[in-house]
Amino acid sequence: MNFHLFPAIRGNVEIFDEFFSSNMDETISPFLTPSSRRWGKHLPLKATLIAAFFLILSFILSNPSLVAICLLFSYFFAGTHALIAAIDDLLNLEINIDILMTLSAFLSFLIGSGKEGALLLVLFALSGAIDERVRKKANHNLRALKALAPTKAYVLQKDQSLALYSVRAIKPGDQIYIRAGDIIPLDGEVVSGASSINLVHLTGENQPQSVDAGSEVFSGSTNIDGPLVVKVSHTSSDSTIARIIQMVAAAREMKPRMARFIDTFSSRYAKGVILFAFLFALAAPLVFQMDYLGPEGSFYRAIAVLIAASPCALVIAIPISYLSSIGACAKQGILLKGGSVLDALLKCRIFAFDKTGTLTEGNLRLTQVDAFGQTYDETQIFALASALERGAHHPIAEAICRAATDKKIAPLPLEEHKMVAGYGMQAQFEDKRLSIGNRAWILPKLTRPPANEILQKLDEVEKNGEVHTLFLFEDRLYLFTFEDIVREGIQKTLTTLKDRYGLELVMLTGDHEASAQRIAQQVGLTRYFSNLRPADKLDHITELAKKENLVMVGDGINDAPALARATVGISMGKEGAQSAIDASDVVLLQDRVDQLGWLLEKAHRTGHIVRQNIGLSLLAITFASTAALAGFIPLWLAVILHEGSTVIVALNALRLLKR
Amino acid sequence: MSTDHFKGKDALTHILEKKKEGLSGFSEVHGAEMPGHICAFADAMRESGFLLLLLWLILQLLHIQDFQLFIALAALAAPLIVWKTGRSACLGWSRLERLHRLIEQEKYEIEHHRDQEREELVALYSNKGFEGELLDQIVDVLMADSDRLLKVMLEEEMGLTLEAFEHPLKQATGALIGSTFAAICFLAILFLLPTIGPFLITFGLLAFGGAISAHFEKNRIIDSVVWNVAIAGLSCGLGYFLLKAIV
Repeated sequence: MNFHLFPAIRGNVEIFDEFFSSNMDETISPFLTPSSRRWGKHLPLKATLIAAFFLILSFILSNPSLVAICLLFSYFFAGTHALIAAIDDLLNLEINIDILMTLSAFLSFLIGSGKEGALLLVLFALSGAIDERVRKKANHNLRALKALAPTKAYVLQKDQSLALYSVRAIKPGDQIYIRAGDIIPLDGEVVSGASSINLVHLTGENQPQSVDAGSEVFSGSTNIDGPLVVKVSHTSSDSTIARIIQMVAAAREMKPRMARFIDTFSSRYAKGVILFAFLFALAAPLVFQMDYLGPEGSFYRAIAVLIAASPCALVIAIPISYLSSIGACAKQGILLKGGSVLDALLKCRIFAFDKTGTLTEGNLRLTQVDAFGQTYDETQIFALASALERGAHHPIAEAICRAATDKKIAPLPLEEHKMVAGYGMQAQFEDKRLSIGNRAWILPKLTRPPANEILQKLDEVEKNGEVHTLFLFEDRLYLFTFEDIVREGIQKTLTTLKDRYGLELVMLTGDHEASAQRIAQQVGLTRYFSNLRPADKLDHITELAKKENLVMVGDGINDAPALARATVGISMGKEGAQSAIDASDVVLLQDRVDQLGWLLEKAHRTGHIVRQNIGLSLLAITFASTAALAGFIPLWLAVILHEGSTVIVALNALRLLKR
Repeated sequence: MSTDHFKGKDALTHILEKKKEGLSGFSEVHGAEMPGHICAFADAMRESGFLLLLLWLILQLLHIQDFQLFIALAALAAPLIVWKTGRSACLGWSRLERLHRLIEQEKYEIEHHRDQEREELVALYSNKGFEGELLDQIVDVLMADSDRLLKVMLEEEMGLTLEAFEHPLKQATGALIGSTFAAICFLAILFLLPTIGPFLITFGLLAFGGAISAHFEKNRIIDSVVWNVAIAGLSCGLGYFLLKAIV
């Protein structure tokens, strides 16, 4: 077949897709040279650090002119963005903490307290830079999912040649060609070819299915071993993988806003302080014996109040507490995407677990070889089966090879070794036939009809949803069955969550009922839901979330929508799919589900210290601004009180760094 | 394929190189994407205002008296206006000369390397997704008319837009008005509000110039205004305090 492909076009289109899905992030701008794009990474954080450097320098230097230069740079790097944001807010008739902080910082420069103003701006910019990083991580989530879905497919032309089209241009009814190893780009029905496809992205179960003419295939699944021609049934915007992407995006939108004190409090606080300072500056001389201008004047005192009332300690109290906890968690191998996840964890009363890869290890283990009553030479059978399966990229093949390796059995040399796409493998050993594969392909190879006992056993295994394969050597049949392995110590962890924190535990799985029941019994869960597709999982999570805040713990791409929708999503970092990791709020880097108890304890402690810091900050602000207003204390003392409270809350927050 | 024409590269690489040449001819001489007299006006206004403020700060630090300060700045404003105007015209003609040379070069290539130009057209339109019979038809139609081919090559290969540039003299007039306006405003406010006026008028001129540029380029006006003022503030402050630290 001919391939018409223009590399220059392909490259550009992929860049555009990624660029637009990132909300035109300059770090992947197609107009920049690839080597210079990294200059745009973490710009707010870099600018804040430069501003902090000049601020520190201003405290060290003694020459007033050099100090002024340092402060100018500090204001420029930390204040320009704040000023733009404040003007934007003002034009939108919105009075908030941005305006209060920016106003205080720039006015403090006018009354000769430039260092305090710069400190205010640097702390505020630091808080903003952290928020920005969390937001970018959330955006990265959808980009990773989109990267999974191919953007192009080979369309079969009338003259049987192939042309590469954007999936957006392919219409239902078109025929596409999918090579072995490719991800299926669009939903459709197989027209010709036979293969195995892995639905792990869609169902989470690492169990390939055979497909041939007439079978339905879904976008996002992997075509394992043979080329397929598929008649497209849905457009790209309506494909299975597109629906998963839409679900994740929608679930993120629906995600309950996490408790953030500043968010709820800041607007009213800022309006109150600015209005009060403004009225005081105008009205105080009319009521009291006071001038408008001068160091004892109403304008000067109003500015002093603005500075003293700037929630510097509040702005720093919360981020540092959370940052300390994030640091402590990172040391334990737990990645938190933002500190407010800890707040949200405290509110959750339900923990929902995915089965495969979360409660279990996610790898198949050979549990039994059934020779249907015949005696057999285990070494020979494993040597032949592992020789047949060697090199196949299939979870069953890998489990058989692993079992042979564990038993220290080396594979035997085979002849005429070949794969029959969609069915299995076959070969010759010393002129004897051997094959391994599914029932529909293996049973017709028997020279005589299989005994009823064999058929009954196979029916039973299929009914129970057990993963299995048939091995045929000459005319003797062997049934290999497999199971997923439960994680070590998981039962103890679940008992702790249930008994110590009184949490309700649920298991959600795309696996069969029988398999789900067996695992639930093994780990001590009484409530579980089986046979769930991603949309079903999302529905269950949405339903549960209506009653209580909940945590979803999962690892697969199929879990991504549910992880995004849950109050807190927790994923496995080692074996988890990238999209699941991106959709979650917490990543267990070592896949240690037993760390959930420790994480909950840390969340409780963080909440406690944050409350302490908020109380302390408010107390300091109230005292300093009241005293400055009444003229009981000079401005420099108000500033010291103000900054002193900032240092105290910062030190208190640092206690969370301890394990 | 003539390796002389393509200099040992394929047609697509050749086209990309030509596009870069064209873009360098198109690029705006004032450092902004917006060409023409308006850009020259906004740019000259901002630069003149900024330079006058900086000079005012320096002269003050050197203890120049009020009246002398005014005369000195007025005397410096005049050559500044002439410099901005002359330079704008000069750059405009320089660009026009470059563009004319590019056209001449392309015309020569069309007349003397028709096979290679055809290859370039095939690569150009293949890259746009045309193929087979349709591609052949497009190339045949374009090759049939040399004038049309020249226009297509200039626009498609080099990324140049015809009838998009102002005459250098019109552009220079924009610069003349911009710098004169800035100088008059600055000197007038210096006379009326000698202590704070120069700061106010310069930042006002910078904000106005930034807003004009942002408006014509369809960028965010607030961002443009704040960044212009912030950069000018930082630069002037740096100059002033450095000199203060030294003297």
